Amino acid sequence: MSHSTLYLRFMPIGGAAAGRRKNLEFEPLSTTALILEDRPANLPAKSEEETQRHKMEYEEMVAGAKRRELKDAQKKKRQMKERHRQEDSISHAMVVWNKEILPNWDAMKGTRRVRELWWQGLPPSVRGRVWSLAIGNELNITPELYEIFLSRAKEKWRSYSETSSVNDSESDGGASLADRESSLDLIKLDISRTFPSLFIFQKGGPYHDLLHSVLGAYTCYRPDIGYVQGMSFIAAVLILNLEEAEAFITFANLLNKPCQMAFFRVDHELMLKYFAAFEVFFEENLPRLFSHFQINNLTPDLYLIDWIFTLYSKSLPLDVACRVWDVFCRDGEESLFRTGLGILRLYEDVLLQMDFIHIAQFLTRLPEDLQSHTLFTAMANTHIISRNRRWNQVFSVLMKDGIKETDKNTSPATRS
Amino acid sequence: MQTNHHKERLYKILVIGDLGVGKTSIIKRYVHHNFSPNYRATIGVDFALKVLNWDQETVRLQLWDIAGQERFGNMTRVYYREAMGAFIVFDVTRPASFEAVTKWKEDLDSKLTLTNGKHVATVLLANKCDQGRDVLTNNGIKMEQFCQENGFVGWYETSAKENINIDEAANCLVKHIIASEKDMLQSEVSDTITPQLEKDKGGTCSSCFRSQ
Repeated sequence: MSHSTLYLRFMPIGGAAAGRRKNLEFEPLSTTALILEDRPANLPAKSEEETQRHKMEYEEMVAGAKRRELKDAQKKKRQMKERHRQEDSISHAMVVWNKEILPNWDAMKGTRRVRELWWQGLPPSVRGRVWSLAIGNELNITPELYEIFLSRAKEKWRSYSETSSVNDSESDGGASLADRESSLDLIKLDISRTFPSLFIFQKGGPYHDLLHSVLGAYTCYRPDIGYVQGMSFIAAVLILNLEEAEAFITFANLLNKPCQMAFFRVDHELMLKYFAAFEVFFEENLPRLFSHFQINNLTPDLYLIDWIFTLYSKSLPLDVACRVWDVFCRDGEESLFRTGLGILRLYEDVLLQMDFIHIAQFLTRLPEDLQSHTLFTAMANTHIISRNRRWNQVFSVLMKDGIKETDKNTSPATRS
Repeated sequence: MQTNHHKERLYKILVIGDLGVGKTSIIKRYVHHNFSPNYRATIGVDFALKVLNWDQETVRLQLWDIAGQERFGNMTRVYYREAMGAFIVFDVTRPASFEAVTKWKEDLDSKLTLTNGKHVATVLLANKCDQGRDVLTNNGIKMEQFCQENGFVGWYETSAKENINIDEAANCLVKHIIASEKDMLQSEVSDTITPQLEKDKGGTCSSCFRSQ
């Protein structure tokens, strides 16, 4: 049996073999997975030379496998370390927010240290709390008030569904515009199309009724505004981060901000001012792309409407959108336009190669793999300063000279 | 827009109609050949590009998928500019969305006319026909009458989900757009405009009105 030396068989490295050895994290796996068996008796014996050669080849293979696995293990170790570092920094940040910042909110919110920490992204566990504090409650809405509007909404829906079951079309046609638009139907249609991939707001999902309630209560609270598309996305993001009544209070106060009011009232003239101000900083920050857009007749309304109405929650991946909201809560409306410019900066090279329809398609459906750190780097390189004027200054100048311009009734599509 | 001599044509087409009738789904089916029940609501306007081979020419259709909420009207109507054709969509399971069709059509015609003063070719789509037939669309003769009275060049029962009649409807629209483009060129060439009222009113292109 002296000739029956090495007969190698490789076991699959992943799967069961690796699973059993989970605890031996940094020990190369393939050598231990090699099973040495005797050469089968029905095969002729190898020559001494061949045996020697096979032995060397085997040793080389083992050494190679060891090197590879060591490298993989090191990489894994680095990744784990990075993950631990991130987790540590999140849990550290969480402690800082909970123990230091939140108890002293008014004194600390404006400090440089807090603002920097804020820019890094809020820990998910304090996110809702910080958002609601930052947005505030100028409207003095109480949870009790929310309950009142909610019960009104429920009553309205009940009577709506009663009449519409008798005569669907006529009851619909007879109602005023606002009534029709605040109807159960409209909100229902949109709820099922709010973050559909999460499967939590759709009918039967855990947050379906909640989203319905918040939106319905709002239409009773502000019948003059009613339900406007885009609201369902904003309410949904708040519901993901806050308790029901708190979500409503924050929702109503958020929509009451000047920029949001302009958009949700669909005040076209005022919206055009926002677009014009955006263009001032667009030209300042990205002159090449700006003129490329102008040549292609691609006006900012074509993409900003979607971005602003949903505060980026529809077009950006949800985790990235939440970080954009963090900054929005810190810096207000100007940050929304800064985010827009950050997106344009991030994709400037790609966009410069595209024509009208491809740019429009690209911007209304941003890449799903967009990463928050790359966007935030692009945003950090974007400065909302034009000839020493800040956002508010540029905007108020536009509001002043606007009166004459608006008489001409310039539309965004014809404006160049 | 481009003239006949070009080997490539580019047309802007509007897709309008009430909220949730399936405008985005129809476009996704037409352009990307797929369907998902989980499309997100359109805010403002979305875009798609469809490239067709048409009589040895390339036809590019720039599809403007416009948000359906009435409230956005002031804002989105500027997007009608320079369109050469339109789909108006309603949901056969929601009668109110059909009632809105005349409103959308009137709105379109009042905001948009071709250089020869005519209205753009518009095809009516009765979508979600897989979810049971509506009493109204069951009556083909009545629907044809409705189309003639309201100036639609044709109507189709469509289903983005089951891929029913989407290509047919688009082909019908493209054919009428090309015809109206020729018409525009002719009326530009000669000062004397031959009365085309008959042809216009009839609008019955046998391929568009499917036999019932």
